[in-house]
Amino acid sequence: MKKIIIIRVCEIFLKGKNRFYFLKLLEDHIEMALSPYSHELEKSQMRYIVTNFSDGDFDKIIGALKKVSGIHTLSPGYSVESDVDKISDCAVKAMEEKRGFFKVETNRADKRFPLHSVELSAKVGGDILSAYPNVFTVKVKNPELVLNIDIRENGVTLIYTDVIKGMGGIPIGSSGHGFLMLSGGIDSPVAGYMMCKRGMRLSGVHFHSYPYTGEAAKQKVIELAENLSQYSCGMKLYIVKFTEIQEAIHKFCSEEFMITMMRRFMMRITERLALKFGGQAIITGESLGQVASQTVESITSSNSVVKMPVFRPLIAFDKLDTIEIAQKIGTYDTSILPYEDCCTVFLPKYPVIKPKMEKVLKEESKLDVEGLIENALNQIEVVEA
Amino acid sequence: MIYLDNAATTKPLEKALEAAEVYLKEEYFNPSALYLVGLKVKESEQNAKKTILSRFPLGYDLIFTSCGSEADNTAIFSFCKRGNAVTTLGEHSAVYECFNKLKISGYDARFAKLNKDGSVNEESLLSLVDENTVFVSIVHVNNETGAVNDIDRLAEVVKKKNPSVIFHSDGVQAFGKIPEKISSKIDLYSISAHKINGVKGIGALVKKKGVNISPLIYGGGQEDGLRSGTENVFGIISFSVATEECFKEIESNYLKVDRVKRKFKEIVSVDGVRFFAENSSPYILSFSAVGLRGEVIQHMMEDYGVIIGTGSACSSKKRHSRILFCSGFDNKTLDGALRVSFSRFTTEEEAIFAAEKLKECILRLKGVMRV
Repeated sequence: MKKIIIIRVCEIFLKGKNRFYFLKLLEDHIEMALSPYSHELEKSQMRYIVTNFSDGDFDKIIGALKKVSGIHTLSPGYSVESDVDKISDCAVKAMEEKRGFFKVETNRADKRFPLHSVELSAKVGGDILSAYPNVFTVKVKNPELVLNIDIRENGVTLIYTDVIKGMGGIPIGSSGHGFLMLSGGIDSPVAGYMMCKRGMRLSGVHFHSYPYTGEAAKQKVIELAENLSQYSCGMKLYIVKFTEIQEAIHKFCSEEFMITMMRRFMMRITERLALKFGGQAIITGESLGQVASQTVESITSSNSVVKMPVFRPLIAFDKLDTIEIAQKIGTYDTSILPYEDCCTVFLPKYPVIKPKMEKVLKEESKLDVEGLIENALNQIEVVEA
Repeated sequence: MIYLDNAATTKPLEKALEAAEVYLKEEYFNPSALYLVGLKVKESEQNAKKTILSRFPLGYDLIFTSCGSEADNTAIFSFCKRGNAVTTLGEHSAVYECFNKLKISGYDARFAKLNKDGSVNEESLLSLVDENTVFVSIVHVNNETGAVNDIDRLAEVVKKKNPSVIFHSDGVQAFGKIPEKISSKIDLYSISAHKINGVKGIGALVKKKGVNISPLIYGGGQEDGLRSGTENVFGIISFSVATEECFKEIESNYLKVDRVKRKFKEIVSVDGVRFFAENSSPYILSFSAVGLRGEVIQHMMEDYGVIIGTGSACSSKKRHSRILFCSGFDNKTLDGALRVSFSRFTTEEEAIFAAEKLKECILRLKGVMRV
């Protein structure tokens, strides 16, 4: 009897001819997630089984697997030789810390096994009841707990009770490479996570404007990138010096267009970086109507300066929904650290909410757009998160 | 570099480091050991203790702790078990968070209101003290505004209302800086070495003899069983040398730093700058560039090689200062909060340079933020 973790993959993508391509990506990501821990990974039909890991690493392994996109569910359990008594002993052990209404469910893929499914379930259920008197009650309809016995064709039986939800989605790398505009707020890391879930590898772009934002704010964004990196199978963070651009906009353009102009510069710079470093899309954490720069008119204005597709996975999210995910993925506590971000100092009293394109272009004509972008691109700092 | 965040920590004195180094390199023996070299270390430690205690009235003792926060925690958790306890909204988080913890666990922990300068409002304080009050804790010098609480007088009025109260004060920003000795009305007093040019990792809880505290840390029974753990001899020696040095000319240093502060204040007194405490410790100048962002000014100053604070370094992960908020300031004032804190080594030239630059930064940022 040994401890195992069963990994079930999301099945939707397994149906096409690309199945092996997806599985290879998934397997690579699983191996990468488990690389810090000693283990073996067995491949079986539609699932993977982690074995030979140390007990002390168990929680960390589960934690790492929950960050692998394409995994549907995980089940910690045991594997044992397909022998009636051994299966029963193992099942009793698996129920050691459980209690309540339960049932046993057997899946007998190995038709050579001497007992039928129902017979084995009945025997194991009986053994559990006698091993732990007054702890369990059998309940076949809507039990609190199901003990699963999976008799496989290779002479091994898997036994488990818990089913832990995985990240879902499709394997990382299967949907290309996106450049995430990472501000340090709550939304952008969640947007990055959502795209990872759909298989998109990430690079991050952060706009830093010292002295209006400090080293602590930069470290905070690096920390967020390090978190996202676990979902993205590694991630580069491009830190753009934005001060000169902000000061130029502030000096030459109307105050109310400050944020509109900034967004247009950010989009252009992100696209240039993406084109240079193999990105195929821009990702932002925008949510429709959340702030002045996220109205449909503002988004139209910032979107119009790029040709690349812009993915906005949070566009229809309420803030509370986003916060819930941020808490789940562990970025929330970092995001709410109160360091200045690059917009607060330059925030106009009355930002334009529905910018008109001709006015935007008129304001922008006061700036040496190309020169400013060139300068910013020449001073990029790259951090391997 | 001009370092003006001395309320956060200070540069260790060369002399303190030299004296202490011996106990890292040569006299590294355990002071609790019974062999001769160990006993010699014990003796040095005891002498260091005496040096620090000589700055207090007769009849006091102390236990060494790892920091001022541990001293505060030890004092509070020794007594806040029954009845009620009173502190202020203007305490350092090492006291404030202990009281919060007690309150959450159901204990009757009370918080007195503040005056505008961050000092405790006496009326509010006295209204909270009653016949069931067992413990009162009031900071001596407020770490953010520099406001000085007259703890001797406060202890007197509190004890007049309830003589059985144990009176504690966090003296971390006062010890070695405010010349007046505390009086015997104070039962417990927390101090820390790194605020007076000693090293980090060593503090002490000074206690009146006969006041029985209980340990936070159990083990080998060091410090009369009140604080177990092998003594930090290196830190203790540095603490004693730092104490000796800062008390040598404490009065004249006080006046000198006061002049430095006045000069600084005079220069930065531009339109839109609001000072938090008029009568405060000369070592701390706390103010707001109203409507601007303190953190941005801090970064701008860093470019000139001047280090200043935005408030308590111990609470830098919180957006606004609790103490200033509780003193009744609005968000615009809290956003622009800055703390400049001097040491006895700060020269007038340094202060003038820093203040001129600060004025420049404030005016520059005003232009950007259109305040």
